[in-house]
Amino acid sequence: MSTIFWEISKRNIRIHMLRSSLAMLGIIIGVVAIGAMGILGNSMTQEISSSLSSVGDSVIVTPYSGGGGFGGGGGGSGSSANLMLTDQNYQQIKRAVAPNVAIPILSTSEHMKVGVGSDDIVATIYGIPTNQEKDLLPDLEAGDYNNENSGCLVGSTFAADHHIQVGSRISIGTDGQYGTLRVTGIIKERGMSFDISTDSALVVTKEWYQNTYNTQNVYNEVVVKVTSGDTATVKTIIENQLNRNIKEKTVSVTDSKATLATIYSTFGTVTTFVTAIGGISMVVAGVSIFNILMMSVNERIKEIGIMRSIGTQKKEVMSMFIYESAIIGVIGSLIGGIICILAGYAVSALMLGTTKYLFTVATMTSVVEGVGFGIIVCLLCGVYPAWLAANLNPIDALRHE
Amino acid sequence: MLPVIQFSDVVKIYPLKAGDVTALDHISFEVERGEFISIMGPSGSGKSTLLNLMGCLDTPTTGDIFMSGIGVRDMSDVELTNLRRDRIGFIFQYFNLFPLLNIIENVSFPQMLKSQKSVDPKKAIEVLHSVQLEEGLYTHTPLELSGGQQQRVAIARALINDPDILLCDEPTGNLDSKTGANILELMTELNRKGSTIIVVTHDSNVASYTSRTIRIVDGRIAA
Repeated sequence: MSTIFWEISKRNIRIHMLRSSLAMLGIIIGVVAIGAMGILGNSMTQEISSSLSSVGDSVIVTPYSGGGGFGGGGGGSGSSANLMLTDQNYQQIKRAVAPNVAIPILSTSEHMKVGVGSDDIVATIYGIPTNQEKDLLPDLEAGDYNNENSGCLVGSTFAADHHIQVGSRISIGTDGQYGTLRVTGIIKERGMSFDISTDSALVVTKEWYQNTYNTQNVYNEVVVKVTSGDTATVKTIIENQLNRNIKEKTVSVTDSKATLATIYSTFGTVTTFVTAIGGISMVVAGVSIFNILMMSVNERIKEIGIMRSIGTQKKEVMSMFIYESAIIGVIGSLIGGIICILAGYAVSALMLGTTKYLFTVATMTSVVEGVGFGIIVCLLCGVYPAWLAANLNPIDALRHE
Repeated sequence: MLPVIQFSDVVKIYPLKAGDVTALDHISFEVERGEFISIMGPSGSGKSTLLNLMGCLDTPTTGDIFMSGIGVRDMSDVELTNLRRDRIGFIFQYFNLFPLLNIIENVSFPQMLKSQKSVDPKKAIEVLHSVQLEEGLYTHTPLELSGGQQQRVAIARALINDPDILLCDEPTGNLDSKTGANILELMTELNRKGSTIIVVTHDSNVASYTSRTIRIVDGRIAA
């Protein structure tokens, strides 16, 4: 039975093609606005997420400098003792977090040259205990960990930029004053990280670092790899142990997981906000659908009266207008969804320089949400005009001219 | 056999701000199966109200109306709608066909309402044959037909569910005299085949085709 009302709805849309198309255009714009914003937001989140992939479950302990935030990874001169962790601090941390592994890190910026006559390079050098390199840097792109004092690991970006291979030699210091290191392995790309950023850096043994820079029993930071318990608990344990004096704190402790959650939450909020702005255009489109259906009801009052008089139920009259809004909503939303993917492709390519996150579940979800929202808005906007039509008094409707 | 329509002391009052208006005042009459009746009366006499009540588009303020023995006074909107669909055929002055549907679809419409699904056009074609509409017009839309042809389609639509009664509101009021006469001939023919027909009209010529005339004056049946 609904076939005839479906048919009437289709034909009514067809004979009022211009206004139906304009209503559809509104929905298309709304879906594109919501979907494209969602695609962009999700792609950005995924881009950041992949950059931070190596953060894992770690807690970073740095000397307290008066402010909060995470301070590791960037290196530094290492010369100021009051901004260094002592070996006593490290031992306290190590005991407090056991059985989790605490890795002391030394770091500095240094001049270096790759091969004879090459340009002077300035890069970060990290000093890590040989037996803990694997704990901090589990993945190598090539070669092996350095077990010897004159060996080093290099980051993948550093290796690519300076054409370094396993076995290459790097002279450290201005005019090679600190000697030459042989590359034993290339570290797999880690992206942005809270602990140490190795992509454009060198990793040497702790012993070589301490002997070269004469920094005994002090460290720039300690990274705790949490394998037992959760990062928040480990953070609290360290703070309780080392920051007993509230007025004079010893260390700043950063929970990488909590920081990551804050970043994701911020991105989520931004994505929701821009998507909501896109939603405004959907509301405008909804008003347009509502207006068109109200016009349709007003134009067809007599027709509704005839239908009711010859035995059409209220719900059947209602279905006719709901079908009309559903047709506009579904077609408009699907077209909007397709355009949205194309627009998302273009926007991702232009703004992020990559489209690899376009066809992921999270990104496609925002397209589906846009399409779904479009259909729901259309249906909701059709309900009142349909109800109005169904509840017209048949006698008054029949008299209508 | 039960009367097709029975009005028993029916009163219809329209409550208005300026005061209640009594459109029908204690009306009682019966229409037997197979009758061809005209209802006549001056403007404002209550003819339209009577038609709306007979067509189950409205319910009386007091009194009872029975359609083939079934009381309609306390029926819900859904029940009244089903009654209109299954037992009453409406024929209007301005034909009132659906412009978006072709002739076959217009005629099949009440049949589809009743069966709740798509229907075989066989019966619609049969009924259209019985109202003598040319076959070549079946796939046209109403606006492509003349007034007389449209009214034939409207009659076919009214007949499609084999109603107990045909209610006609000035069926020839929008037609020229020759076409009007043809339509009245058709209705006479339908009556001869057993249809019960009630025609509301101003035109005494129309009333002359009927076997009985009920005259309404000031909401009452004139003696």
